[in-house]
Amino acid sequence: MSASAEIVRVDDLVKDVRPGFGLRKKRVLDGISFRVREREIFGFIGPNGAGKTTTLKVLMGLIRATSGKASILGHDVSETTFRRQIGFLPEQPYFYDYLTGREILRFYAKLSGVSRGCRERRVTQLLELAGLSAEGNTRLRSYSKGMLQRIGIAQALVHDPQVVFLDEPMSGLDPVGRKEVRDIILRLRAEGKTVFMSTHILSDVEMLCDRVAIIVNGRIRYEGAIDEFLHAGEPEADLVFANLPAETATRLEERFEARLRGHGDHIELRIAEKDSSEALRVALDAGADVISATPHRVSLESIFLSTVNEADTEEDSR
Amino acid sequence: MIGRIWAMAVNTAREAIRSKLLYTLLFFSLAMMLLGSVLSMLSYVERERMVQDFAFASIRLFSVAIAVFIGVGLIHKEVERRTVYTILSKPLSRAEFLIGKYTGLLLIIWLQVAIMASFFAGVSLLMGAPLGFTHLAALALIAVEVAVVVALATLFSSFTTPLLASFFSCGLWFAGHLTRDLRDHGANSSSALVREGTAWMHRILPDLESFNLSIEASHQLSVAASDIWFPALYGAGYVAIILASAAMIFERRDF
Repeated sequence: MSASAEIVRVDDLVKDVRPGFGLRKKRVLDGISFRVREREIFGFIGPNGAGKTTTLKVLMGLIRATSGKASILGHDVSETTFRRQIGFLPEQPYFYDYLTGREILRFYAKLSGVSRGCRERRVTQLLELAGLSAEGNTRLRSYSKGMLQRIGIAQALVHDPQVVFLDEPMSGLDPVGRKEVRDIILRLRAEGKTVFMSTHILSDVEMLCDRVAIIVNGRIRYEGAIDEFLHAGEPEADLVFANLPAETATRLEERFEARLRGHGDHIELRIAEKDSSEALRVALDAGADVISATPHRVSLESIFLSTVNEADTEEDSR
Repeated sequence: MIGRIWAMAVNTAREAIRSKLLYTLLFFSLAMMLLGSVLSMLSYVERERMVQDFAFASIRLFSVAIAVFIGVGLIHKEVERRTVYTILSKPLSRAEFLIGKYTGLLLIIWLQVAIMASFFAGVSLLMGAPLGFTHLAALALIAVEVAVVVALATLFSSFTTPLLASFFSCGLWFAGHLTRDLRDHGANSSSALVREGTAWMHRILPDLESFNLSIEASHQLSVAASDIWFPALYGAGYVAIILASAAMIFERRDF
């Protein structure tokens, strides 16, 4: 398979549900389309109720789409046998709590068709990967939430799948647990796996994902490389000065269309990166002291929020 | 396929064996057999028959109760607890999942029937009641009846709540024991509608009386081989049809 091979392909997917006994249908997925490429970590982000889990359920064959197509590794998602090549961690997973960590992994390994010869070795490897070697013989009912999340990831990987789907993998984890899960995800990419991660924790997305899709109200609002997404506009810089004369500040504002903000005796200027050298020269000539000069980094959060707001405004105006 | 079904069955059996209800019903079943023995001592005639009638009724009633009350939660619980999400994301078809769950529960209930049957044999020997091949056949057909009831409970569990599923399963069990009489009485009716209606009911609903050899056993009557094989085949066919229907319904469900 080439480096850009499409591992997941979703075309014009629609899902209508009928809440309660009512006759009115609610459209949960409204014609979504996206692609996940080989060996990438794909972030599927959106606010609560946007349709992330519904999309994952369609991909896992847990629900049927009303219309549209979805395939993984070239197989229609309604097929069963190709699931040997995929792993899935649902949101807030629940497992048979009367089984031990080792027993539950053995159970999932059997269901996934892992041969008897490899099973024990694979279970031991996965317990180690999840950091649960010492708790392998403890019943799951004594596991903490973080441990359950990690055993959930272990069951998704027990059959060494090619593609891994993780629904809110960091949900409810403390910072240490989140770091551990992040490390596991990075390790999967290093091993050449493709990871599809649904989440609303944007800092994790920024740290981990190669590409993202933003879903709001059942529609995809953006799909692309995270770098392109974060650096979509003209690059900007933040310059902070002390002792900048007021008239120079006004001149800089007018000449470079800079945005000014005052912080005590400090003045901050947000300016196009190409104009920053010239602005620094003007300020220094006027006797100002430079406190800092840094490229302005647009956070995923701010872009995400503006995308959600745009979608909401669009929805209201319909 | 067999490996995946067996993995599901073993896990279901492990879960079922932890059910307190199972042990409670087993205890009451054994207690009822003892009660039958005590009551038989008050009788001057046919003590042995009384002991065995009580025992057969107890085994049938309590094993069916276990089948219904554990069976109705069989699928529903997996969906409620969302364990079905991780299981069905594996290369396991929904039909395999269903058959695995059914097999696991059935194995546990058959184990209970075997325990009850051993107790029955012990009580019979103690009370000097005869034991023979007909008794064994009667117990085997109770096991077949239980297999049909577990399949019915699985069918209802695949699409409705445990409460409704237990109503439906119990209702069908009662109806299943009445269809033969209903057909025979209906056949004497002057109305063609009643005759045809009761005949069709007998064809569609499970004829659970065909699994009842307890009267023959307690009266020590001999039975023909066809009285055992035919109901056993009928039961197997009925189970296959019910499970196929359950799989079709389950296949269409959204989780």
